[in-house]
Amino acid sequence: MKSKEEILKELSDCVVDMEDKLVCGVAEEYIQAGYPALDGINEGLVDGMQRTAELYEQEEYFIPELLICSDAMYNGLDVLRPHLLKTESRQEKHKIVIGVVEGDTHDIGKNLVRIMLEAAGYEMHDLGRDVALQSFVDKAKEINANVIAMSTLMSTTMPGMGQVIEMLKAEGIRDKVKVIIGGAPISPAFAQKIGADGYSATAVDAVKLVDKLMRAESEKIGA
Amino acid sequence: MIRFYEHDQIKKKKCETMGNVNLSRVNEMTPVERAAAMAKGKAIDRLPCNPNVANGVARVYGCKISEFNSDAKTLAAAQIAAYKRFGYDSVRIFTDLFTLCEAMGAKVKFPDDDTADLLEPAIYDVKDIGKLQPASPYKDGRLPVHLDAMKYLIEEVGNEVGCSGAVVGPFTNAFFLLGVDDTLKLITKNPEAVHALCRVSLETCKNFAEAVIHLGLTPTISEPMSSCTVVSPKTFREFSAPYLKELVDFIKSRGKGVIMHICGKTSHIWEDIADMNVSGFSIDNVASLTGCKKAIGNQVRILGNVDPGGIVYCGTPLDVRLKTLEGIAECYDSPKGYTPMSGCSLPVETPFENIQAMMDTVRDVGYPVIPENVAAMINDCKTQINNL
Repeated sequence: MKSKEEILKELSDCVVDMEDKLVCGVAEEYIQAGYPALDGINEGLVDGMQRTAELYEQEEYFIPELLICSDAMYNGLDVLRPHLLKTESRQEKHKIVIGVVEGDTHDIGKNLVRIMLEAAGYEMHDLGRDVALQSFVDKAKEINANVIAMSTLMSTTMPGMGQVIEMLKAEGIRDKVKVIIGGAPISPAFAQKIGADGYSATAVDAVKLVDKLMRAESEKIGA
Repeated sequence: MIRFYEHDQIKKKKCETMGNVNLSRVNEMTPVERAAAMAKGKAIDRLPCNPNVANGVARVYGCKISEFNSDAKTLAAAQIAAYKRFGYDSVRIFTDLFTLCEAMGAKVKFPDDDTADLLEPAIYDVKDIGKLQPASPYKDGRLPVHLDAMKYLIEEVGNEVGCSGAVVGPFTNAFFLLGVDDTLKLITKNPEAVHALCRVSLETCKNFAEAVIHLGLTPTISEPMSSCTVVSPKTFREFSAPYLKELVDFIKSRGKGVIMHICGKTSHIWEDIADMNVSGFSIDNVASLTGCKKAIGNQVRILGNVDPGGIVYCGTPLDVRLKTLEGIAECYDSPKGYTPMSGCSLPVETPFENIQAMMDTVRDVGYPVIPENVAAMINDCKTQINNL
């Protein structure tokens, strides 16, 4: 029988090597061997996605490769998740509403951010692309979101992000939710202009940004 | 609600400036005169400049963007109004990236007063690629409206300013036929399917380019999906470049030069683009003007790359001035020429004074560009910004 470490490495490699079919069999094998699902997710699949993200940063991988790696991660998650212990799956996670603002149908970047945040342990609510501005606000209220993440690739749709922040203020919930934005035409200057809580240039940085914002938030609550 | 409010404000702003003659344009060469003199190596008054106002022309003209979908006269008139107001060096019929795919069966969403979006691809299954037909520019989708607008445009201002028609590149358009995510995965999973999509896409691109040229305008090519921000240089060379080159060759065989724009990072494919013998390459603000000049400046004119969102949309006229000057300082001596431009199409609600600032800066620099003067202007700008 293979050791736990061996199969974890195989899970991770399946993600990095774009083995979106093979990963299911490896995940089954891992469960059959009686190893804990949570470790399989974090030390296998998520580890693979993090290595994939590094390859993306180094310009070894590009979007087409990343999409298939993430398919492999999700296929593996589908096998492992049902085996999580009840306590593990019920863990209270920070909730994030994510979407591409109205007027833009580019959602590649947004999908990457969702994948990376999901891999990092956040509960993602993906509204998709070309999302009506009001929907961000409605969803955030409905699920009591900690973060709203908006992206656009088209400079023509940037003003919508500022409008969402205005809507949050009008609803009186601006201080309850952090707003982060990203996308090719977005800059830190724009984030500041519309009063967003943060901007990140890449999917990897988006995770660091949310981690930082959530840490600051819990310290505030603790104090 | 907010949108209506903004619209009213813009209308008001328009009225206030309506009666003013654009004094900065008095005694200027026309863009056509400037381009002709430049081509002959004769004296010109200033560098050509293109702030790249896209659907924002609706704000200058005072119409809704959705009127461009069916009303060729309004589309042309709005372009002309913005050209007359700012005096930039190129007018182009371009509304969004989805005109060609729509003409091949994709569904497009048309907001009342915003840029159109892709709603549904033309097909959902690889098996249906064979059913896709090249579009006819004279009957499919909005292509006839765009062609009519081009006709009005060149009739009205063709003798004073270069008129062009936007053609979406074959690789980019292919993604809208089967959906972006699915097509991205096919690059690895089913390369032959991607080639098949690109081939039929290319036929549409050529048909439309031919119609544009027939009217006397010059096609431009927008190829955003070829960006190294999206696909690897290897993928670009295998799946995009062959079709893109065929389109460029086709346009050149009809006696037209072509300017190409690719968003995002492009440095790894600059040589590939230059070797296609395009006449100009327009780069995004994430790419380096200096790097581009060094790599391909001896082969093609370089256009770019003031940040359309962070600077022209969000910044002050002084910010726009600084970035325009810095671009000129970097690239004015590029062997095949340089055109100050935004790094991509401007957001619809870009303040007019920022567009004006880019034009005024280029006018202030004049020609020939004297680098010491530009350096002094940059310092002056920085001092002013620091003193705010």
